[in-house]
Amino acid sequence: MLQPLVKAAALLAFLSCSALAQSSAAPTGDVILTVSNTPAGEVPLDLALLEEMGSETIETSTIWTEGVQSFEGVPLHVLVERLGIDGEALKATAINDYAVDIPAEDAVAGGPIIAYRLNGELMSVRDKGPLWLVYPYDKAPEFQTEVIYARSIWQLDRLEVAE
Amino acid sequence: MTLRIRIAVSASLCAIGLAAIVYLSTNVIRDIRLLDTAQSDNVQWTLSQTEVEFLKFDLSLFAAQLTETPDMQGLRRDFDIFYSRITTLEQSTIYAPLRALPTFANSLAQARAFLDSAVVPIDASDAVLRDALPALQDQAEQLRPAVRRLTNSALEFFARESDARRNDIAATLLHLAIGIAALLLTLLLLVAYLGFLNAQNIRRRAQVIEASERMNLVTGTSLDGVIISDATGKILEYNAAAEQMFGIAAAEALGRDLGKVVVPEHHRAAHEAGMERMRLHGERRVVGKGRVRLDAQRANGEAFPIELAIQSAETRDGEIFVAFLRDISYRVRAEEQLTEARDKALAGEKAKTEFLATMSHEIRTPLNGLLGNLSLLRDTDLDSRQAHFIGNMESSGKLLTGHISDVLDITKYDAGKLEMKPTAMNLGSLMEDIIRNQSGAASANGTDLSWRWDGPRTDWIYADEERLQHILMNLVGNAVKFTPRGAVDVALRHADGQLTIIVHDTGIGIPPEKHERIFEDFVTGDSSYNRATGGTGLGLGITRRFVTALGGTIDLQSAEGVGSTFTVRVPVRAVDAPVRKTDGPAVRAEGPKMRILLVEDNGINREVAGEMLRAEGHDVVEAHDGAEAVRIAATERFDLILMDISMPVMDGRTATRTIRSGSGASSDTPIIALTANAMPEEQEAFLQAGMSDVLTKPLSREALRNVLNRQDRADVASTGVVSQAHLSSLRETLGPDGADAILRRFAAEVDQTLGQFTAEPAPALDDVARAAHRVAGSAATIGAMGLRAGLIAVEEAAKNRDDAAVAQAIAQLPPIWEATRRQLDLTPSPVAADPADD
Repeated sequence: MLQPLVKAAALLAFLSCSALAQSSAAPTGDVILTVSNTPAGEVPLDLALLEEMGSETIETSTIWTEGVQSFEGVPLHVLVERLGIDGEALKATAINDYAVDIPAEDAVAGGPIIAYRLNGELMSVRDKGPLWLVYPYDKAPEFQTEVIYARSIWQLDRLEVAE
Repeated sequence: MTLRIRIAVSASLCAIGLAAIVYLSTNVIRDIRLLDTAQSDNVQWTLSQTEVEFLKFDLSLFAAQLTETPDMQGLRRDFDIFYSRITTLEQSTIYAPLRALPTFANSLAQARAFLDSAVVPIDASDAVLRDALPALQDQAEQLRPAVRRLTNSALEFFARESDARRNDIAATLLHLAIGIAALLLTLLLLVAYLGFLNAQNIRRRAQVIEASERMNLVTGTSLDGVIISDATGKILEYNAAAEQMFGIAAAEALGRDLGKVVVPEHHRAAHEAGMERMRLHGERRVVGKGRVRLDAQRANGEAFPIELAIQSAETRDGEIFVAFLRDISYRVRAEEQLTEARDKALAGEKAKTEFLATMSHEIRTPLNGLLGNLSLLRDTDLDSRQAHFIGNMESSGKLLTGHISDVLDITKYDAGKLEMKPTAMNLGSLMEDIIRNQSGAASANGTDLSWRWDGPRTDWIYADEERLQHILMNLVGNAVKFTPRGAVDVALRHADGQLTIIVHDTGIGIPPEKHERIFEDFVTGDSSYNRATGGTGLGLGITRRFVTALGGTIDLQSAEGVGSTFTVRVPVRAVDAPVRKTDGPAVRAEGPKMRILLVEDNGINREVAGEMLRAEGHDVVEAHDGAEAVRIAATERFDLILMDISMPVMDGRTATRTIRSGSGASSDTPIIALTANAMPEEQEAFLQAGMSDVLTKPLSREALRNVLNRQDRADVASTGVVSQAHLSSLRETLGPDGADAILRRFAAEVDQTLGQFTAEPAPALDDVARAAHRVAGSAATIGAMGLRAGLIAVEEAAKNRDDAAVAQAIAQLPPIWEATRRQLDLTPSPVAADPADD
C-alpha cells in the first residue's frame, strides 16, 4: 500500500519539479525560508512556494506541547528532491541562530516535514513559527531520541546544503 | 520417580526459566526504551537558552534607546523568541515536574505577567513602542532575577532527577544481574537434568538393543522355525531354522508373501481365503488356537507336515503374526511306522488266533472220532485189562481235549473275542455238580470236600454259567489236587449284587513269591509235584481271564504247609427262579424216544454220533451233507435235527435257513448245530440262521444228553405250557366263541411280535423289552405260562442290554409258541398279524 503511494508521490514530485523548473518561480510573498548552496544557488521560498511543493500532515504529540497536534508542511525529502539537493546534510538555522545538522538520510518519505501550519493555523514566531521541522514522534521509538529532539528545530528560517 | 513427575518437574523448571527470561527481558527492554526515548530535550540548554534569549531581548531594549532609528523589527523578533521560550516552559510536558516547584512556578508567572504587559507596546506601532521602551527596560530589569531563578531551580531539580534515574538504572542492573544469575542457575539445573535424561536414554537404548540382540539370538538359534508377518501376510522376520526348513534364504523370503513361500500349492487357496476371512471378519481358525498340524512346502516343492502355533500382537505398524513352525516329518514318519508295526502285529495276532482256532478244529475232529470210538468200544464185550486200557486212553483223550479248550479260551480272551453269555442259572445246582464231579478225586486223596452258603441261599443268578463252571471247576480241582489228606471247603455268598466264592484248602500252600506268578500262563506251583499231578499251567491263567471278563477279581492268600484260600468276587444279580424250571440239578432223566436227523459229512463222526444217539434209544436218520438234509427234512417229520456246520455241497447254516424258509414236514423242527468252531460270534450266526442250540465237538455223551434233555424239557414243558385251568375258566367266562376270538387275537399279537423280534435290522432293545412285556401280560391273561416265562426272559435280557442273551431268548420262543399254539387248538396262521390289531 505504501509502495503505490510512494510511487505516486515521486511522480507528483517529478511533475511539480518540472513545473517549477519551467516557471522558475520567484517568491511573491515574505521569504520565510532561504535554502542556500543548492545546485541553483540560493533559493528564497515564501509560503506559497512551500505549499505548492506539496503538503503532508503529521498528527503527533511532542515533548514541547501538550496533547496531540496536527502539523502540516512540506516533507523534507520532497523539498530536497524539488531543489535537486544532493548533499550529505542540511544545516538548519533558526531565527535566533540556533543551528543543527540534519543528515540527508532523514530526508525520506515518512520522515520529517517542514511544518508551516499547526492545527490549521500558520505559526507565529511566538508559536515557534514560522517554520518548524517536525518528525513523526509518535510513529516509532527511533523518533523519540534526544538526537531527533535536537534536530526538531523551530523558528527555522535557513537551510544550507552541506558538502 | 515416574515419568509423569519427571515431566512435571522439567516443565516447571522450564517455566521458571522462561518466566525469569520474560521478566528480565521486559525490564531490560523498558530500561533500553527509557534510554532510547529521551523524554527531555537538552533541557538545561533550553533553560539557559531562555536566559540568553531574555538577555538578548534586554540588550535589544537597551540598544533601541541609544539610537534614533532603533531596529524595532529586531526588538520584536527577540521578544517573540523569548515569548516562545516562556510559552514552551509553560506548555511542554517535560517541564511539568519543574512547574510543580513553587520557585519555578512563581518565576514563570512573573515572566508571563511581564510578557502579557509587554506584548501591548510590542504589538503597537513603532512610535508607541519607542515611548514604552524605558518602561519595558525597567520591567525587564525587574524580571531578570526571576529568569535567573528559572534556570537555577531547574538545575537543582534536574540534578536530583538525574540521581534518581541513575539509582533506577543501578537497581535495574542489579535486578538484571540477579535475574541472570537465577537464569544461569536454572539453566544449569536444566542442563544437569537433561544430562541425567540423556544418560537414562542411553542406558535404555542399550537395554533395548541388548534385548533385541538377545531376541535375535533366541530366534536365530531356535530349533523351531520362526516367521513373523504383517496382517497382509508379508514376511517381516525369518529365522535360520525356517531357512533350513523351507530351503529359502532369509534375504529371499523377507518381504514376500507368506502363502507363496511356505504354503503348498493345493492349500494356497484355502490359506488366502483364511487371510481374507480374518481381514474382513476377524475370524481366526489358526491364530491363537495352540498347536495346529498342517502341510507346508519346501522350496523344491516337497510338501511336509508341520506343527505350528501362531500368535498375533499389536505393534505401532499394525497387527503382526508370529508363527512358530516345527518340521514334524520325522515324527509323522515314526508314527506311521508305529501304526504300521501295530497293524502288522494285530494282523499277526489275528493270524495266530485264526491259526489256533483252525488247529483246534483240526485237532478236535479226529480227537472226537477217537473218543467216540473208544466210547463205542467200551460198550462191546471187554475184559478187565482191555477196559483198563480204554479207560487210560479215554482219560488221556479228555485231558488233551481240555488242554485244547484251554488254549482256545486263552486265544479267544486275548483276541478280545471271549463273549459272556449270561443266563438265569442255578448256582446251587452247579456247585452240587462240581462237588459231585470232584468228590472221587478228593476221596482218592483222602480229603474232605464240602460246600456251603455263607449267608442266605441264592440259587438263581444271572450269569454266564459256562464261565462260572470253568472258574469253580478249576479252583476246586486245584484245591483237591494239592490237598492230600486235608479238607477243601467252598463258601458261596451273595450280597449287594456281588457273588463271593471262597475256595479254602488245607493243602501244601503256595510260597509267597509265587502268589502273583501262578496266575500267569504256563506257571505251575511245584514242578516236581506238577509232574505227579499233571497240568499245563494254564488253568489259573484262564480262571483269572474269565473272572476279569465277568468284571470281577480273584485274590489268593496262602501259606506254605498251611493251605490256600482263593477268593473270587464277581458282580452278579439274583433272579427269580424261572417258572418252567424245576428245582435241583439238571436231571438226566431218560427222555422220550425221538426221531432225529443227523447231518454230518465226516463218516467217523457221523457213525459215533449216530451210535451214541441210538444207544440212547433214539431213531436216527443220517444225511451226508446239507443238501441231502434239506431233501429229507422236506418230506419227513423229525423231532430234532443235529446239523454239522462245515460240510461240502451245502453247509449247515444254509441248510438250516432253507429248511426254515420252506414249508416242509420239518420246517419248524429244532435244529442243533454241531461245530468245532467255538467262536461266539459264529455261534451267534448259527442261532440267527434258525438253529436252536449249539453242540461243540468233540461230541460227548454227556453234552449230547444235556442238549437232548433241554429239547426234551422244552417238549415236556410244552405239554404244560398252558394252564388248562386258566384256559377253561376263560372259556366259561367268555363262552367258546368269545374265548376263541380272544385267543385268535392273542395269536395274531404273538405272531406280530415274534415277527418284529426277528425282523432285520434288529429292533431296538427298548422296543423289544416293551413288546415282550406287553405280550407277556396278554399271555398271563389267557394262561400261556410257558410263553410268558419266555417273554419275560426276553424282556430281562433286553433290559440288561445283553444282545446275545436277547437273541438266545428270542430263539427259544418259536418252539414254545408252537407248543402253546397246539395246546390252544390254534392252527398256525400264515398271516402274521391282523393290521387292525395293535
